[in-house]
Amino acid sequence: MTDPRTEPSADPGPLLSVRGVDIAYRTGRRSRVTAVHGVSFDLHPGQSMALVGESGCGKTTLGLGLLRLLPRNGLVPAGEILFRRKDGSTADIRSLGAEELRRFRWSEAAMVFQGAMNAFNPVLRIEDHFLDTFRAHETGRPRRRAEIREESAHLLEMVRLDPARVLDAHPHELSGGMRQRALIALALALGPQLLILDEPTTALDLLTQRAIVERLSELREELRFSMVFITHDLGLAAELADRVGTMYAGRLIETGTTRDIFYRPRHPYTAALIDSVPPVSGGLVVPESLPGGPPGLASLPPGCSFAPRCRHARQVCGERRPELEVLHTRGDGLSHAAACLRSRELAAEGATRD
Amino acid sequence: MATEIAASPPPPDTGTAAPSRDGAPLPPHLRVWRHYALVKVRKALVVVFVVANVTFFLGRAMPGDPIDVMAGRLTQGGMSLEEARIIAANSLAYDPGAPLWQQWWDFIVGLATFDMGMTINRPGFTVADSIAAYLPWTLFSIGVGTVIAVTLGLGLGMAMAYRRNRVLDHVLSVVASVLGAIPNYLIAMLLVVGGGMYLSWFDPIALRGTLSPGVEAGFNAEFLGDALYHAGLPIFTYVLAIIGTWMLIMKASTTEVLSEDYVTVARARGLRDRRIAVSYVGRNAILPLVAQIAISFGTLVGGAIFVEQVLVYKGVGGLLLDAVNYRDYPLLQGLLVVLTTCVVAANLVADLLYSRLDPRIRK
Ligand SMILES: Nc1ncnc2c1ncn2[C@@H]1O[C@H](COP(=O)(O)OP(=O)(O)OP(=O)(O)O)[C@@H](O)[C@H]1O
Ligand code: SF4
Ligand SMILES: [Mg+2]
Repeated sequence: MTDPRTEPSADPGPLLSVRGVDIAYRTGRRSRVTAVHGVSFDLHPGQSMALVGESGCGKTTLGLGLLRLLPRNGLVPAGEILFRRKDGSTADIRSLGAEELRRFRWSEAAMVFQGAMNAFNPVLRIEDHFLDTFRAHETGRPRRRAEIREESAHLLEMVRLDPARVLDAHPHELSGGMRQRALIALALALGPQLLILDEPTTALDLLTQRAIVERLSELREELRFSMVFITHDLGLAAELADRVGTMYAGRLIETGTTRDIFYRPRHPYTAALIDSVPPVSGGLVVPESLPGGPPGLASLPPGCSFAPRCRHARQVCGERRPELEVLHTRGDGLSHAAACLRSRELAAEGATRD
Repeated sequence: MATEIAASPPPPDTGTAAPSRDGAPLPPHLRVWRHYALVKVRKALVVVFVVANVTFFLGRAMPGDPIDVMAGRLTQGGMSLEEARIIAANSLAYDPGAPLWQQWWDFIVGLATFDMGMTINRPGFTVADSIAAYLPWTLFSIGVGTVIAVTLGLGLGMAMAYRRNRVLDHVLSVVASVLGAIPNYLIAMLLVVGGGMYLSWFDPIALRGTLSPGVEAGFNAEFLGDALYHAGLPIFTYVLAIIGTWMLIMKASTTEVLSEDYVTVARARGLRDRRIAVSYVGRNAILPLVAQIAISFGTLVGGAIFVEQVLVYKGVGGLLLDAVNYRDYPLLQGLLVVLTTCVVAANLVADLLYSRLDPRIRK
């Protein structure tokens, strides 16, 4: 018998394969806005991918869409979200039935929400949240309360919280950082293969932010879950992610390994974002090289959405929409792709790497 | 470093009882004095005291005193005014010569010793006895009406929020708004005229009063059944009077809670819909409405005076009108003080209940 952890097993394919996903919000009886356009990417087991981009570019929408957690007016009109289940089968999340979806959520893919200071029910104790979660996914004989409490305590210890104090507390008795840790512990409770984190540390002070990020990256080493990490903060992305995807106006406009993205950005927008990383990581500041704001979803320009703000724009950019195009593929199968009509040209000029 | 942050105490909780202004711990006697429940009780007592005084002076500000009123009626029988006044003065337990401050002082001392004195127009009857004979019927019908309306309203309002902008929601919203706009005595009239006389669903005459002839008060099925039967119309009126409001506020509250992060997170956690609806949505939506129960109750106590007249139900409504018409000051004062106390007590209970149910206030 070989140990599966040491044996380099044959690549079983991606854990998550997102293919041409559109996500829209109904805004009236007949009208809708498309917040995510034709997004495709693969995420392999154990990998972590950061999604970066300005506010409103559709990061949260994409994250929620992956688990079909969109608000009532949200819908996924096109695409496939293929997920390799724990039992080895592959399912399209879009076509799961209600009960199947319920069982899938949290046990296979969990999510830590943006600004989730409010993620806990204010009238329940933290222990009740663990209890509810375990109970909802129990199959067969219900486990004893004490048993669940013990396991919850263990999970809280993993995120460096004192279970004796936290389990019996109500959410309002915990600080923001403690709540966020508790939520991460809760997210890991059922051993999901995928953890989606939507700006998990944005509302926290820098010290707490650092502590949580460090612990998160240790836990990933330990538990080997895959991660989609949504953030404004390119510094955090660099630290936690193997790959980075840049989004702009609902589209994925560049993907690549973290190294590629940071050292050889091939889309002018990504390049501008990297220029704008503030010295101490914090909120995203609009850099001088990137004036103005992203276009409104209802009035996207016909060609490249970034054209109005792009200093390399030419006439063709206003006429043809660039598709995500693979620029090179590395030995391990990871590729670098960008959606810019002039990316090769600009790379040759060295313009995208100032 | 990580453990250090995690072990640091949470920010001080300002929602709980008895913080002193500068944050220093209070001496024990002050802590009791400023205890959440005690603060509420003190405020309630102040309200009752103020209302008692307002009642006292308003009552006496009405034109004429008990003797004028009775003499006026006697003269209609052909008696001369002087004669009528003498008879009235002799048959009523009222001394028109007593100075106002004296009457006020007697009233306040009476209140403090739970003695509301004798009625003026019903010689031999204390105010307390008179109230005790009628008030239970009023409280019973209003209480049952409130419980039914609140329960149904919460359920329907929640259903509306879950199906908002669908047909059910639109229909119920219209119904609720219409019901909320009709004054409750008008609802009572519509019930009697429509259901009783026009559609003949029931005999409005037989339904009058609080009990059928021959039925004795006691703790048995016949008595309870008959009491409910006679209280049916008032209860139904009260239900219709407030259910619309309850549907609408519950819909609003539920809609708000449905957009809370913790509900989305609960869905993400794969909890069953029923569990989310009850413990995550329902509980949080109802919590801010607990205090409204007392407000509904208060509204109905006010409305009952007219509703009971329309439906010929023998609660305090008729007694209060008599007290006003005959200027029976002690009865009027006693009734209003007792009714106010009931409403204030309901508010107090709602407040304390809320503080028990919401862990952010509870200590
Ligand atoms: N419920 C909704 N109804 C209609 N439009 C919505 C809704 N939620 C989001 N949007 C729109 O979809 C677009 C993408 O929003 P989203 O929240 O996904 O952006 P984001 O990248 O997560 O931004 P941020 O960094 O501020 O969190 C925005 O233009 C937003 O206005
Ligand atoms: S396609 Fe044109 S406008 Fe768009 S990013 Fe490339 S150069 Fe700029
Ligand atoms: Mg977001």
